[in-house]
Amino acid sequence: MKSGLFIATAVLYAIACVLYLVLLTRRADSMRRLPGTVFVMALGGHIAFLTLESSAPVEFPLGDMAQVLSVSSLGIGIAFLLASYRFDVTVLGAFVVPVALMLFLASGLGSDYVPVSAQVESAMLTLHIGANILGLVAFALAFGAGVAYVLQERLLRRRQLGGLFQRLPALDVLDTIGLRAVLTGFPLLTFGMVTGTFWLLRGDSGGFFISQALGLIAWAIFAAVIVLRVAAGWQGRKAAIGTILGFLCTLLVLAGYVVRAAVGNA
Amino acid sequence: MRDFVVVGLSHRTAPVEVRERLAVSPERLESELRDIVASTGLEEALLISTCNRVELYATSDDPARALARARETLRARLPSDTSDDVLYSERGIAVVRHAFRVASSLDSLVVGEPQILGQVKEAYDAAKGAGTSGTLLGRCFSQSFSTAKRVRNETGIAEGTVSVSSIASELAKKIFGHLDGRTTLLLGAGEMGEAAARSLRQTGTQLHVTNRSEDRAQALAASCGGRAVPYEQLTTELATADVVIASTGSPKFILTPELMRGVVRSRRHRPLFIIDIAVPRDVDPRVGSMDNVFVYDVDDLQQVAEENLAVRAREAADAERIIEEEVDSFLAWRRSLELAPTIVALRRRFGAVADEELKRAMSRLEGLSPADQAVLEGMARSLVNKLLHQPMTQLKAGAAEPDGSYLIDAVRRLFGLQDQVQNEPAAEPEPSGEATPTSLAAAAVGSSGKPK
Repeated sequence: MKSGLFIATAVLYAIACVLYLVLLTRRADSMRRLPGTVFVMALGGHIAFLTLESSAPVEFPLGDMAQVLSVSSLGIGIAFLLASYRFDVTVLGAFVVPVALMLFLASGLGSDYVPVSAQVESAMLTLHIGANILGLVAFALAFGAGVAYVLQERLLRRRQLGGLFQRLPALDVLDTIGLRAVLTGFPLLTFGMVTGTFWLLRGDSGGFFISQALGLIAWAIFAAVIVLRVAAGWQGRKAAIGTILGFLCTLLVLAGYVVRAAVGNA
Repeated sequence: MRDFVVVGLSHRTAPVEVRERLAVSPERLESELRDIVASTGLEEALLISTCNRVELYATSDDPARALARARETLRARLPSDTSDDVLYSERGIAVVRHAFRVASSLDSLVVGEPQILGQVKEAYDAAKGAGTSGTLLGRCFSQSFSTAKRVRNETGIAEGTVSVSSIASELAKKIFGHLDGRTTLLLGAGEMGEAAARSLRQTGTQLHVTNRSEDRAQALAASCGGRAVPYEQLTTELATADVVIASTGSPKFILTPELMRGVVRSRRHRPLFIIDIAVPRDVDPRVGSMDNVFVYDVDDLQQVAEENLAVRAREAADAERIIEEEVDSFLAWRRSLELAPTIVALRRRFGAVADEELKRAMSRLEGLSPADQAVLEGMARSLVNKLLHQPMTQLKAGAAEPDGSYLIDAVRRLFGLQDQVQNEPAAEPEPSGEATPTSLAAAAVGSSGKPK
């Protein structure tokens, strides 16, 4: 039952991905609403799956790596839906939804991961993970907007003003989404970094080093993007590229945790 | 024979001096239509008046006369020295096809432009308001709206902008999102620059105008609804503007990389969109590779316009196919409108003959018992039914075919049903009598009046 639901949800996410890509690349006025409908169905399946999942005893909320990935994926989906209504940027689904799908699939691979760490205080750990998840969600949105910005800017410079250019949102809109998402995600990431470092200093888990370093790099990139944006009025392509790099680093940190959990399990 | 006619002139046949003489403002459409119908005796009338066309659509039981009257009506408004050739006319189904093409913007000066549909809707509303639109024009134009919608949705005919000045404002929108409260700086006083500035002004930007000659800047600012700023303030103006339209007559580059580097710094890297319409160019090409500065020159814009026009031309072929489908469906509707009364009339004609002969036979055969009479009556009835069975089946099946109107027309002629059908109120779908269907032979054949 649970694995059936997981597969159904994954398939719905995949269909939604394809439909969003079609929406971006083809003239498809007749199916404007279809990708959103399928995506909402996927989110429904995802929520149902999580509900079933959480009925199993877990030591504390979000203690399981698979669950972290799954909740992140769901959060990205919901945040994207809200953003696409707020800014009318449905086509961004082509960049954001694949990220959600990827995280969801990754969560399925590690359905038997052990809890990250049992000896740290559970309340603080939940806050740490929660903040990191929300940060990840914000950065995923910023990432989608950033990719669209770089693409759109390139089309504009190369004078390729065809259908793709017409369907992508305006540069200013993409820049605004990127800025707001990074400004939201950064404090959350900072909190996650501080609490993470706290444990690193207290504990004796030396294997954390690479993840921590990558996390620090991601944090530094986002900090640079924000400082340059606010202080020097830096915006546009460079900010978008910075945001994309920052998000990729964040994903690497997450991948590090996944690998560590898998190795620890083995 | 109730049929369609149209008389009109458009950008294809008449220059603007002639078109503007015929143009009717939207608020006068209704009264104008009432006058036309009162003076010409047309059954239905509809007037489309835009800056590119004036067309009078009508239906009449005597299309040839109606065409002449409609022509006279428009001819009377033309300047006396204008040749008659500016007016074209169509009859029959060609009118419906023309209406569909006009509403779908296939006959427009700029194919695919969106305004025409609204103007046709306005014309239809006026005709409804004036009470001059009946079943035929009503169906024709309501179907023209759905046709236009299909063309718009199923083809790329409306994709991309095709005039240089609107491309400039489309691009500005793609950079800045919305243009409300943004500032456009018009640099120089070239004619194309002015057009582009007007187009941007319509989207809600503030317009600043600067020129080496202060007077020219003042005049231009006044005519475009902008504000003139001194040329000495160029650098500060560049730092605050979002869109710059450069169209000076200067032989050298005015916006050089050296100048623009300082400008970009003082703008704190906000995006800047520069449209260089001047020939020779005002903007050094190197400026275009600066971060957050986007430069389009007149060739770029022209090229976009041409690409978009080429796309539209390709899509227009698809659109014509949709038009033909819709014309077919219109013809099917008209056939269904005349099939039912034809069947009724045919039955009635046969029934009348049988009744007559029965009466005559009865009067000769004296002393028939009621039972014998019943047998005779039954025989007459079944004779009619059996004789009519095959033709009826064929008629019903054949009427659904594309050339079904020929069949209906042939049946009417063979059995002399013309008068009967016209005096057949019971079979009419509309109580007004406007839908009285007659032969559609002319409609199926196509136009009898060729465009001149």
